Amino acid sequence: MNKTIKTALSLLCSAAAVVSFGGCGGSASSGSGTTELKFQTWNLKNDKFTGYFQDLIKQFEKENKGVHIKWVDQPADNYEDKLSTDAAANSLPDVIDMGPEAAYTLAGAGALLNIAKEEPKAKDQYLDAAWQSATFKGPHLEEGTYGLPWYLNTGPTLYNKALLNECGLDSNNVPKTQDEMFANAEIFGPKCGGKYAMTTGLPSIQDFGMYGVPLMNKDHTKFTFNDPKGVAFVQHYVDMYKAKAFTDEMLNTSNSGESKSFNSGSQVFLNGSLYSIDDMKKNAPKVYEHMGITSMVANTHPNMMMEMITVNANSKNKDMALKLAKFVTNSKNQLAFDKKANVFPSSKGTIDDPFFNPSGDDMNAVGMRMVAKQVREGRIWGPPQFTAVDGTRLQEQIAQALQGKVTPKQALDNVVEYANGRLK
Amino acid sequence: MAQLSHRQRKGAGSASARRLNPDGTYVHPLGANRSGVIAPWFFVTIPILWILIFSLLPFLNTIRLSFTDSTLLRPGKFIGFQNFVDMFHDPHFITAMTNSSLYVVCVVPFMIILPLILAALVADRTRIMGFFRTSFYIPVIMSSVVVGLIWTNLLDSKGLVNGMFRALHWITKPIPFLTDRWLLLFSAMTITIWTGLGYYMIIYLTTIANIDPVLYEAAQIDGAGAVRQFIHVTLPGCTWTMILISLLSSMSAFRVFGEIYMLTNGSGGVGGADITMTMLIKNEGTGINARTGYAGALGLVMFFVLGALILFEWFLESRSSDDE
Amino acid sequence: MMSKHITVGKVTKYVVLILLFLFLACPLLWQISLAFKGPKDDMYAVPPYFWPRDPTVDNFSGVFKRLPIVGYALNTLVVAAINILGNVVSGTTAGYAIALLKFKGKRIVIGILFLSMLIPGETVMITQFLIIRSLNLQNNLIGVALPGIVSAMNILLFVNAFRAIPRDLIEAAEMDGASVWQRFTMICAPQVKGTMALVAIFSFMGSWNDFLWPLIVLTDDSHYTLTLGMSRLQGTFVSDPRLVAAGTVIALVPILIFFFVFQRYIFHGLEVGGVKE
Repeated sequence: MNKTIKTALSLLCSAAAVVSFGGCGGSASSGSGTTELKFQTWNLKNDKFTGYFQDLIKQFEKENKGVHIKWVDQPADNYEDKLSTDAAANSLPDVIDMGPEAAYTLAGAGALLNIAKEEPKAKDQYLDAAWQSATFKGPHLEEGTYGLPWYLNTGPTLYNKALLNECGLDSNNVPKTQDEMFANAEIFGPKCGGKYAMTTGLPSIQDFGMYGVPLMNKDHTKFTFNDPKGVAFVQHYVDMYKAKAFTDEMLNTSNSGESKSFNSGSQVFLNGSLYSIDDMKKNAPKVYEHMGITSMVANTHPNMMMEMITVNANSKNKDMALKLAKFVTNSKNQLAFDKKANVFPSSKGTIDDPFFNPSGDDMNAVGMRMVAKQVREGRIWGPPQFTAVDGTRLQEQIAQALQGKVTPKQALDNVVEYANGRLK
Repeated sequence: MAQLSHRQRKGAGSASARRLNPDGTYVHPLGANRSGVIAPWFFVTIPILWILIFSLLPFLNTIRLSFTDSTLLRPGKFIGFQNFVDMFHDPHFITAMTNSSLYVVCVVPFMIILPLILAALVADRTRIMGFFRTSFYIPVIMSSVVVGLIWTNLLDSKGLVNGMFRALHWITKPIPFLTDRWLLLFSAMTITIWTGLGYYMIIYLTTIANIDPVLYEAAQIDGAGAVRQFIHVTLPGCTWTMILISLLSSMSAFRVFGEIYMLTNGSGGVGGADITMTMLIKNEGTGINARTGYAGALGLVMFFVLGALILFEWFLESRSSDDE
Repeated sequence: MMSKHITVGKVTKYVVLILLFLFLACPLLWQISLAFKGPKDDMYAVPPYFWPRDPTVDNFSGVFKRLPIVGYALNTLVVAAINILGNVVSGTTAGYAIALLKFKGKRIVIGILFLSMLIPGETVMITQFLIIRSLNLQNNLIGVALPGIVSAMNILLFVNAFRAIPRDLIEAAEMDGASVWQRFTMICAPQVKGTMALVAIFSFMGSWNDFLWPLIVLTDDSHYTLTLGMSRLQGTFVSDPRLVAAGTVIALVPILIFFFVFQRYIFHGLEVGGVKE
């Protein structure tokens, strides 16, 4: 900050100190004897989870006398803005729930604790794929693990049987790989193209990963998905678009999340999650009637998303904060949370709990077994270095490739150049 | 006409040569000499200080950043004009400038005229008009998420509008309101106007409420109908408000963001063809990976473009109102 | 003859008004219908239908049960009250001086106002937060309200209003020997009540709907404003479009009431001041 502003601020400060409460600068320090920790979750304070966290905190406070935990929760929207302003103002909480993308950037700014350094043994308690994804290297940071894996999520592919039949696809032999999906699109196109949509829309970086495209070089200093395999992948989408396997509107959306189009019965396949099955039953009963479920369509390993619990590097009570992070992500507490949220554990062995292997033929049980298997095989494909803005660029360039404005190769070259520029 | 504008003239001052300050404000022949030196500052000091502290000073920091390569969490170093050079190699910048400027040209005329007509229609002190005014204000207060949802449902290729046209056999292929570059821009403009109607309506209402009723009575005696009363009384009474609204609406039109964001799921149109300046600044300058340096440079350019736009409009309008 | 003419005009007028009403108010009606739809209503039916087939008020009680709405609303009222007061006071004083008083540096003052309107808010938000933090007002409702209590646009609206005051009135007061302050409080300020109402409406609406700034300033949800609090309805693993719709309807009601009440004051301008000739 420049001098003018600093002077002005200090002036303001002294003025404000008179009229307002207390002085400037440093945050309120805790009273004598007790250690106060601020624990921040993301959009989990509601009647479903509040009880869980209250119990969790009570338990931790009981085990650690003199520790007081202040739980704050942030709304779903603009969480990254909240994190980034807090980081810029050096007012991050002690223990924070966030995804790997945010963690990578904050770690690069020195805001997060390198847990691998403080607690090398922690590694053994988590699934390798999860630990690897919490381990960052890149141009701006010391290689290390900057958070503990918390929950994982992945989901089945949902499909609409009625539409499959109508469009000449075999509902007993639904695609398992992305290549099979592309082959299906050729049958789908002439029969239903333009009337319905095949999938949700443009591929994201995770879809490239699942297809087997190398996303980054070994040192994580460059993106590499503009290689021939990546180009071939985009070409398939160009062909699908020509076959009218998805509508023009889908050029505005990425292939993730919920889909109005699927819920209203005009889309064949959807990357769903277990909790969306229940939502579907309640909100889109007509589609639910004809809904089928299969494992995630992928050429290689299925994709997973991960949430992490990170520790503020500038916390006044680093040790206790780390202890809390370990406590939240330990096997027992993860399991309890997963049961409530219908998500999956990142701690080793927890997935073997009978909860994840229910018996029965109803859709929830089948889905659970299917997804539990995916968790064992899955990868967290999205590189934390690939930011949201990069994702938007990717989507734009692929859309332009589909419209024939650029070649697939050019499109990917453009994105890689842009993303590499931001990586520096 | 002559007797109608009697108050207008009075209101605008009698000595036409001294009617306006160079900055366009009114100079009162007597008040000017009597108000002293300290009293005016007593009225303006705190508001101006406030604006200095909470917007101009922070903007100085933005200007400083625009000459660096800093990101939100890394201070960065001085790089001269590199950000500005980069900007002209950024295909999005050209697109954004074009779209934002086009928005001003197309939206502002509607924003000046339509809300005025609307205001004239509901400018009655009856309860029923109060009801209409309130309901016309609804678009302004609806959350943008809901508005976006409704309009996408209307304009989607399977939406209500296309469905209706198809049922009437006007079209065989759906009109790509949400995927064609220009149509999307026009759809967004429609939403802007739809929201702006209520917003600017109430600004006009405050002005219309202050027009002397005697003028309307005089017009009625002259046999003027509603339309002629509007043209001869309401319109001249709102000149300054029209100028004010043209300035306000140009600024917000150039900064358009929400409408396009909602219609495109935040993607800025197919292939980013409908991105606008504010969208670009938001993309680059917010979030955890914000490139505050580059975004600051974009902001600075937008600042100057808007400034030029406002000066130009001001020039046009003060000239045309002098011609009257 | 005359009265018949008016009737035709009136009919046209009301037809236009009702069409406009439908055009402008439809989204709200749709939202209301959604909020009354019950668990048996298909949210994604094609074509969508308006009247709930399984009507219920559970969504509303559900929102009240899940969230401390009243607390959130009170927080918003605190922010809105500061905002309204600040904007009306700063707008009337500064607007008065700029429109009706002559002083050195007036051009600079106007220049500052315009410059501040040209600044893209996105680029200054973080610095604003640093200022709020250095005042130790983060996580405090005053910190939410502070940067917004003076706005160049509102000042210009007041300038516009003060300029419309009939000169005779001020001149007469001056002849009577009224001071600047007396002219301001007794003569001029009462004349711009309409604009005060307008600015109050804008300020109220602004603080009621703002999301990003309060999110950045506030940390504890006990301080949350209504818009922030409502976002709780959209949970990460749970979301019910009916509840969200009920929430938005509940959040809209106060603004609508506020608007309905205050829009009437827009018409209290002239005659209260006693200028009616």
